[in-house]
Amino acid sequence: MGRTLPSVTQVFMQEEAAFARFRRALRRTDQLALDDLFTAARQHLAAAQYASHTLPFETFLLSMLLEEHKEVMRLRQQMDDVLSRQS
Amino acid sequence: MNEIITGWLFDVYPNETNLTIWVIGDDGQRHRFFQDFSVSVYAAGPFPRLRQLWKWLEEQPVQVFLSRKERKDVFRGMVSVLAVDVPQPARLDGLFRAMVSEFPDLTFYDGDISIQLRYAAAFDVFPLARCRVEVQGVKVIKIAPLDTPWDLEPEPAPLRILSVEPDCDPARGTPKAVIIAFGRNKYTLPINHEKKASLFWTVRADIKRFDPDLILTSWGDTWLMPYMVRTSQENGFNLPLNRDESQAVVERKEHTYFSYGQIVYRGRQVQLRGRWHIDRHNAMLWNDYGLEGVLEMARVTRQPVQDAARLSPGTGISSMQFVTALQKGILIPWHKHQAETPKTAMDLLRSDMGGMVYQPTIGLHHDVAGIDFVSMYPGMMVKYNISPEVPRAGNDPSTCSGQRLEPADGESGIVPMTLAPLLNKRLALKSLIMTLPTLDCCRPTYQALASAEKWLLVTCFGYLGYKNARFGRIEAHEAVTAYGREALLRAKEAAEDMDYEILHMYVDGLWVHKEGCKTPADYEALLAEITERTGLPISLDGIYKWVVFLPSRVNERVPVPNRYFGVFQDGSVKVRGIEARRRDTAPFITETQMGVLEILAKAPDADGLKDVLPKAQAFVGKQLTALRKGQVPLEKLLVSQRLTREVGEYSSPSPAARAVKQLQAAGRTVRPGQRVRFLFTHGRPGVQAWDVPQSPDPRTVDLPRYCTLFLRAVETVLAPIQQSVSAALHLDARLGQADTGVRFFKTPTACDLSSDYVQQPLRPSPFP
Repeated sequence: MGRTLPSVTQVFMQEEAAFARFRRALRRTDQLALDDLFTAARQHLAAAQYASHTLPFETFLLSMLLEEHKEVMRLRQQMDDVLSRQS
Repeated sequence: MNEIITGWLFDVYPNETNLTIWVIGDDGQRHRFFQDFSVSVYAAGPFPRLRQLWKWLEEQPVQVFLSRKERKDVFRGMVSVLAVDVPQPARLDGLFRAMVSEFPDLTFYDGDISIQLRYAAAFDVFPLARCRVEVQGVKVIKIAPLDTPWDLEPEPAPLRILSVEPDCDPARGTPKAVIIAFGRNKYTLPINHEKKASLFWTVRADIKRFDPDLILTSWGDTWLMPYMVRTSQENGFNLPLNRDESQAVVERKEHTYFSYGQIVYRGRQVQLRGRWHIDRHNAMLWNDYGLEGVLEMARVTRQPVQDAARLSPGTGISSMQFVTALQKGILIPWHKHQAETPKTAMDLLRSDMGGMVYQPTIGLHHDVAGIDFVSMYPGMMVKYNISPEVPRAGNDPSTCSGQRLEPADGESGIVPMTLAPLLNKRLALKSLIMTLPTLDCCRPTYQALASAEKWLLVTCFGYLGYKNARFGRIEAHEAVTAYGREALLRAKEAAEDMDYEILHMYVDGLWVHKEGCKTPADYEALLAEITERTGLPISLDGIYKWVVFLPSRVNERVPVPNRYFGVFQDGSVKVRGIEARRRDTAPFITETQMGVLEILAKAPDADGLKDVLPKAQAFVGKQLTALRKGQVPLEKLLVSQRLTREVGEYSSPSPAARAVKQLQAAGRTVRPGQRVRFLFTHGRPGVQAWDVPQSPDPRTVDLPRYCTLFLRAVETVLAPIQQSVSAALHLDARLGQADTGVRFFKTPTACDLSSDYVQQPLRPSPFP
């Protein structure tokens, strides 16, 4: 279908592809971590589309950070649970 | 002495001098009348050119009446036009074509609007309208409607239907007989290809005796009617297919076009005069809404029934807009010259978006409510007066202050004006259906009507953004999506403020969950709050016992928006995007996948899934064994794919294209947009077309490939359930509960299966 602008998913895939050389030069373990970050950013494509930021990659970075922070919060909660059970 | 007749308006079409009008009278008679009816086209442009056109028209052999008029163009305001009135409607087409080629620089209006729509607009009538006709001899003096297309229960016309169908698909073989049915009579008539006369005398006698209003056929457009017309002409029979014997049977050629990202094929058409012909296999959406739906389409769109049956809902909605425009004296541009207004890159970035589509939370969820805005897009067009000619300050409703989204000011635009009665009728029908008991005999009828209207409403949004649509404008289209996103976000905010968890959002619907909310009453407060915040009606689609949102096939952590399945509290199953919904899935695989879901649906709630899981697994095992042993009839393994381009244009031919090559070798032609049915087979070319005269050898069927497809479909539905059950069992075990005895069925992978398959000799299928 004719679109004037690429959809956010297309932009996301272009951005991901743009890092192909970067990814290639990483260690295999690091590559997997990088893939995880991109997967995290994918969770928020709807919000990124709605934001329609001129520099979409900033939104993607923020999405990665958001998922990371969610994970930190979850781990912190678990840690608190464990500690409280021990005491 | 004038005579008054009441009855149903059956058909209208032009003849040599005026219009022929068919009316089914209350007395049961089929009346043919004639009516004088003058049609108009308009031309606008520089004055000297209009003057030249005037002179040119006066020299034409067609009688015309010329005048200068002021008329409204929705995009340009009032314009001064040359009005050309043609008293012989049948002469309009030729004259208009000549006019356009002689004066290509002028802007023309109303040139290509069908006579039937003009007639409908002029007298406010429609196909099968109850009307009161005042006649003098055979001349109609006056015609007035007694009902409107918006009546929920129109008085049904006493239609006489003759059904004629060949005993097999003419594409697959040569029919040997035709099956004729009328009322309670049904008989089979052999086709004797040497002595055709007997067939024709019988059909002729039937038509004469029953005098049907509607000839309902199978493959009538593509085979039966052309065959009958051709053979009767060759042999000099007079076959009264038309009730109006002064007219010839109308044939239209097949064509292929591109719509909504898909190639669509429309077959040849054969239309009758004074009678209708509908081909079940060439009627748009016949399987969705049947004859009731076709008649409803004709009533609300004012298209003649034979066209309404074959045309797309897009044409239907355009027709409705044309009628509104004709009645309001608004000009309908022949070719639209309206380009998109220039926008900055930032404007584009802000406005060039579709509806909001969320990424769902992957996995199995229990007690989930699906809530939907009711006819969201058309509803917003009507409520916020979104129309191409209505000026809008900006397209960002999120900047609207106040609790509600503000409607645009000013008089109602042509799109909302056209849609409002249709929308109201659909809402009234929906609420009527809700009040009827499940087994009420009227329910299917109302559902067919609601379904026909749904298609019209759905397409009207697309047509708003379609650059060739006469009343389309991209800014209006964008405004609709912007309002849609705003409404959905407001709904999300309302739900979150009330402590609901948002599992998914999709354009006009939300899936929400809150611990303890299990009955419709629990959601009433939420629905009221959303309606309060958005001003749009929202309804509960249903409460799922459980629903699974599936991840992408490529990455299991990435959710995909429209791939899910779930079971409502009443036990009905809803699936989207999985194999069973796809038209290119073999029926056997669809049947298995749906079978598994039906078994899972029997569980009283999500916790009960572990009890029905073994039964589902056993069913899969049984089906798989049948598949591997070649016990599945070949018809159930047929895959049907659409040919997307001409066979020669494929750089690497798809399975469908390879099947088409076989069909071509057998002398069949397949056009892009048509579906091809085939089996996957061993070796090259890997497929066997189904619609060729010789039956395929069951031993050549590529069973391992079918097994792979089968297992993939089973895994889609079983894997998430197994995961969730095992997680629950794991939790139970940790809590020290007894083993429930569920053993997991490991879905064999494609590789285990094909290797094990090779060791077994192929057994011929007992089913030819």
